[in-house]
Amino acid sequence: MSLRVRLTLWYGTALASVLVVFGVILYGALAKALKEQADRSLEETAAVAERSLEEHRFGPFLLYEDLSQDFPELATLDKFFQIFGPTGQITIQSPNIKSREIPLSRTAFEAALAGQTTFESIRFSGEPPIRLISVPVRHGGTLVNIVRVGTSLQPLEETLHRLLIILLITVPLALLASLGGGWFLAGRALRPVEAITQAAERIAGGDLTQRLSVSMAQDEIGRLAGTFNAMIGRLEASFQQVRQFTSDASHELRTPLTVLKGETELALRRPRSADDYRLVLVSSLEEVDRMSRIVDELLFLSRADLGEIKMESRPVRLDHLFDDLKRQAEVLGHEQAVHIVIGLSEPVTIAGDDMRLRELLLNLLDNAIKYSPQGGRVEMSLVKQDSAARLSVADQGIGMSREEQTHIFDRFYRTDAARAHTKKGTGLGLAICKWIVDAHHGTIDVQSEPGKGSVFTVTLPLLASSD
Amino acid sequence: MRILVVEDEVKVGSFIRRALEEESYAVDLCADGPGGLELARDSHYDLIILDVMLPGMSGLQILETLRKEKLKTPVLIVTARAQLDQRVKGLDAGADDYLTKPFAIEELLARVRALLRRGTGEGMGLLQIEDLILNPATREVTRGGQRIELTSKEYALLEYFMRNAGRVLTRPVIAEHVWNLDFDTFTNVIDVYVNYLRNKIDRGRERKLIHTVRGSGYVLKGE
Repeated sequence: MSLRVRLTLWYGTALASVLVVFGVILYGALAKALKEQADRSLEETAAVAERSLEEHRFGPFLLYEDLSQDFPELATLDKFFQIFGPTGQITIQSPNIKSREIPLSRTAFEAALAGQTTFESIRFSGEPPIRLISVPVRHGGTLVNIVRVGTSLQPLEETLHRLLIILLITVPLALLASLGGGWFLAGRALRPVEAITQAAERIAGGDLTQRLSVSMAQDEIGRLAGTFNAMIGRLEASFQQVRQFTSDASHELRTPLTVLKGETELALRRPRSADDYRLVLVSSLEEVDRMSRIVDELLFLSRADLGEIKMESRPVRLDHLFDDLKRQAEVLGHEQAVHIVIGLSEPVTIAGDDMRLRELLLNLLDNAIKYSPQGGRVEMSLVKQDSAARLSVADQGIGMSREEQTHIFDRFYRTDAARAHTKKGTGLGLAICKWIVDAHHGTIDVQSEPGKGSVFTVTLPLLASSD
Repeated sequence: MRILVVEDEVKVGSFIRRALEEESYAVDLCADGPGGLELARDSHYDLIILDVMLPGMSGLQILETLRKEKLKTPVLIVTARAQLDQRVKGLDAGADDYLTKPFAIEELLARVRALLRRGTGEGMGLLQIEDLILNPATREVTRGGQRIELTSKEYALLEYFMRNAGRVLTRPVIAEHVWNLDFDTFTNVIDVYVNYLRNKIDRGRERKLIHTVRGSGYVLKGE
């Protein structure tokens, strides 16, 4: 069942209940009020009759005309009255009672003897009910008369009946009109939802440039549209990022592939010497290794982008890491006669992932060695500063300009000098370093001058309890 | 034929050069933009193979500059970027053809041949003067239906002559385009090889094709 139908039905049910309750209360209240009014009126007429009897000294042989002459208000058309003697026998009755017999009821008589007024309703078949009041008249301590006034309840009944008809007609009509109006209004209120659904369908179909027009920005639907737009914007940006990354990646792989293909095809064009073949194979292996590295690093970065890399958070002693990695770096630097020294070191503990921190440090050291001159020097240092650990790797290598420093952590970025210096770099090492540093809530930056070397500094928050 | 290759990837430039040299082309290799531009301006090349991504200056910039300077040498652009807009940009900048990496060597060589044909105003594949026929694709040379065997250098020299048939070619020019020499060296290797060619092509035939132009150089033409 659609939301629109549901809303309209709920609303209709609520309204119907309210209208019914209202109708019932209205009817009941009016009925009560009208009845009370009739009773008050009877009381007044009874009082008049009582007074008139007093005037005539309660004489037993009074006639109707005597009373009505002095008290014209007794001769009203809508009421009749009866006067009973102390034994309950009728003595006077107004002419408008006509031929009907309305004797005094036992209840009224006994109540009158006790000095109490009684209200009664009686009904003759086929006729509207009659309301009666029976009032005892006492004189000198004894009951002398019982005055009875009656009135037809027909007007009252007719009024109530008419009200009932009106209610029975108007309530359903009002309900239908409201349902119709409610249906229409629900449709209008839900129209933005329909617009959002359609836009979402277009986006599911692949068009991420769609946005919703947010006209009423303040209500629930407006906020929904706004949030939706923001979400699509983020999706589009991240798709764009992936697209860019994939394009950069495939571009980077083309060069090693070109070398492999070209050198191999060339070698196969005519018979070559064993040495020539050997050289081609050695070169091919280099390219294969290069592509392997690119693929590994790309895989890491793409998993990192998707949030799939789980970082542990355990206490890690950075100074111990330093010692381990110095040994590893010495092996790496052996070929170029680059020597590695640890300048400053102190016991420093941070919360982090041991494996990733090793990768970080190794990447920095590898870079330092790669771009160092023969016989150059690479210096590592580790200090505590305020509540952070600062480690740095300094080399005397090719360095980079201020402009290049702003891009150096970008993916696939290699400076011209770097490319000229060696083919081995992938441009991803520092991007990976940055990712690891960010994941540890730290910062990384570089100070460098072209030709004079570089210093990479990483700042990481200390483990809270250690100090 | 003399070809300039401007490519910064060492291994790629290297195998392109070797492949071309094995096909008897004379090759100069340059690994950066500004250097390539200078070489293209100062020396005569029959074809330039240009990589787009170069340090210092992009290949397209070099190309635009050369075309502005009215250089008519055919240019073959080589690059890793394969998208349509890149190819269009390259061709509009003045390139005569476009190859994307990675490419097959055979395709590179075929396109080189095609561009060289165009450069000398030929439509068909075969080069022909009278009954001397040279097929660049197969490197077959025949005269009067008879197969003529030539060494690599002889072939290169003959191809150059035939592509410039009717034009007087001076020694320095021949040295540049066939031997890749900037003619400082005093050598008569050119004369020696012209002689070899004459022996193989003109000897024993009525109509001589290779003529000496006294004081200038040589020319290949029908009489």
